[in-house]
Amino acid sequence: MTVAPCFAGVDVGSATAKAVIVGLDGCMIAHAILPSGGRLALAAETALDAALANAGLSRGAMQALVATGYGRDAVAARTKSVTEITCHARGAHALNPLARAVIDIGGQDSKAIALMPDGSVKKFEMNDKCAAGTGRFLEVMARTLGVDLGDFGAIALTADAPARISSTCTVFAESEVISLLAQGEHVERILAGLCAAITQRVHSLASRVGMTPELMMTGGVAKNIGVLRNIEQAVGLPITVPPEPQIVGAYGAALFARDGAAKNG
Amino acid sequence: MATQTLSPLGILEAACTDPYAEAQKARAKGQKVAGITCSYTPQELFHAAGYLPVRIMAHQGGTPRADEIIQSYACSFARSVLDRALSGAFDFADLVVFAHTCDTMQNLADLWKGNRPQQALLIVSGPTLIEGEPARTYYRKEMDRVRVRLEEIVGPIPDAAIADSIRLYAQQRALMQRLYAIRRLRPELLSAADMHNAVTAAFLMPVEEHLQALRGLVEELEGDNIEDSATLPRVLVAGSVCQDRGFSEAIEEAGCLLVDDDLCMGSRAFELPDASGDDPMDALVQIYLTRTPCPAFHRPGFDPGAHLLERVRRAKADGVVYLLTKFCDPWAFDYPHMKNTLESEGIPTLLLEVEQNLPVPAQLRTRIEAFAEMLESKAGQ
Repeated sequence: MTVAPCFAGVDVGSATAKAVIVGLDGCMIAHAILPSGGRLALAAETALDAALANAGLSRGAMQALVATGYGRDAVAARTKSVTEITCHARGAHALNPLARAVIDIGGQDSKAIALMPDGSVKKFEMNDKCAAGTGRFLEVMARTLGVDLGDFGAIALTADAPARISSTCTVFAESEVISLLAQGEHVERILAGLCAAITQRVHSLASRVGMTPELMMTGGVAKNIGVLRNIEQAVGLPITVPPEPQIVGAYGAALFARDGAAKNG
Repeated sequence: MATQTLSPLGILEAACTDPYAEAQKARAKGQKVAGITCSYTPQELFHAAGYLPVRIMAHQGGTPRADEIIQSYACSFARSVLDRALSGAFDFADLVVFAHTCDTMQNLADLWKGNRPQQALLIVSGPTLIEGEPARTYYRKEMDRVRVRLEEIVGPIPDAAIADSIRLYAQQRALMQRLYAIRRLRPELLSAADMHNAVTAAFLMPVEEHLQALRGLVEELEGDNIEDSATLPRVLVAGSVCQDRGFSEAIEEAGCLLVDDDLCMGSRAFELPDASGDDPMDALVQIYLTRTPCPAFHRPGFDPGAHLLERVRRAKADGVVYLLTKFCDPWAFDYPHMKNTLESEGIPTLLLEVEQNLPVPAQLRTRIEAFAEMLESKAGQ
């Protein structure tokens, strides 16, 4: 029996490495998410092997591999590199052909993308050099407040009003948070304030690009319900979140890997 | 070094690799050197006075000395140049010349004067409103003042010498225009580095030697008849002063062709003015008054968006990358209007906030690559 060919996308982000395996029809077969750590090349390989194992496939079945994310050029086995902006757009469009806008907040960057009806990028904005108002920011704040990252958003939603946090710079915001704690501010209000601060930052990116329905949110921060609700309110559009928002970029990359086969075959 | 054996491109590259070699050489022969901080300096006048005009350049690296005396929200060009000045990197200049442009450059002149008192300094104060008779009369008086100041140092500068210098620089402008025309038509013939070197060397080499290398290059390229087969996205680069070629190279590495620029150390410095009058001092006024205005100046009726759009159309550019030096207010104020003008015509833009003293960060490379992918997919539709 011959093994059916498969195609892989690897998204090497600052916090996690994601791999997605698709079949010839473009359907997702399996995925894996692992921490990136300090060795990007190794993280990419490990994530890829884990996804292949989840699919019950070997490297031999893999026809092409597209790498994306900020560590994309560290992936030795890649057929080519495509930026995460183009990959997120592609992945979002495949998951929901009606998607015309994507907000992606990952470990160290955030982006707003407007999509063409075919899933290509119409326009995009990305945050500046520093990681202010991204996943890393939420991680540091959760640690400072002694809150589990997974509970962050849900607790924030229980607040009667958000505390006022004026900075999205991780260093400045952390000292603001500590001052608020010293003043006896409730943790849930601080969490709500942090969600609002992140939203402010991503909202300015989104406004410059122009968000139209349907709007999808991707990246690890999409799992934070507090941030999600805040962004919905700020942008004025309902947001859909795919079942696993972290792998949308890797899925887009896998689809680009499959394109080559579709053209050749 | 046996420069005779280098190709024209090799000569231009060598001038940029060791930017102040020519200045040191000139000093060794007893020639005076003028350090130029802005392209609104009438180089012709300094050339006629016997100076070698050499551009003051930022470079990569921290600015610890400058940080002690200038605020962190002054642009990286000002901070880098000041830091280098404080460390003596520009001591080869007998005279440092400033033009009256943005607030930062004006204050940089004062900081320079206060902290390097041994170095002579000259400020050329062009009019802020660069149109009309009052501007012309004023600018002529200012040019005369600069001439007198130079004559106090070097003795009389004859009109004929100024006219000769104007002719020489006009030849340089005309040849650069031809080089830009070649690039618009056949961008694959000139790499980002080649073009950057040709432009930058104009501000570092003696004009006579730059002319010779440039003429060799232009004639070589104009004789090249290979068919153009490149179908890569065509990009125009605009924005504030950008002395590091890394940004242009990053655009090229992302798979784009650089087809034109709208930069002050770029096409703007080589515009061909109509300076046909008899009086060389009036001609100088004409040259610097009629060039595409730096956003620190005001010309009634000049629309920076329309100007850029025209350049984009002429170069058949698919997109514009706007290199905005962080904290460069004059360009930052003009940007939204330029962007709106281009986007209303369906021309995509990418804004990159850049630092003149840092290498191109990975994050900017990602944005440039995504922009290239976007232009490619648009071309495919």
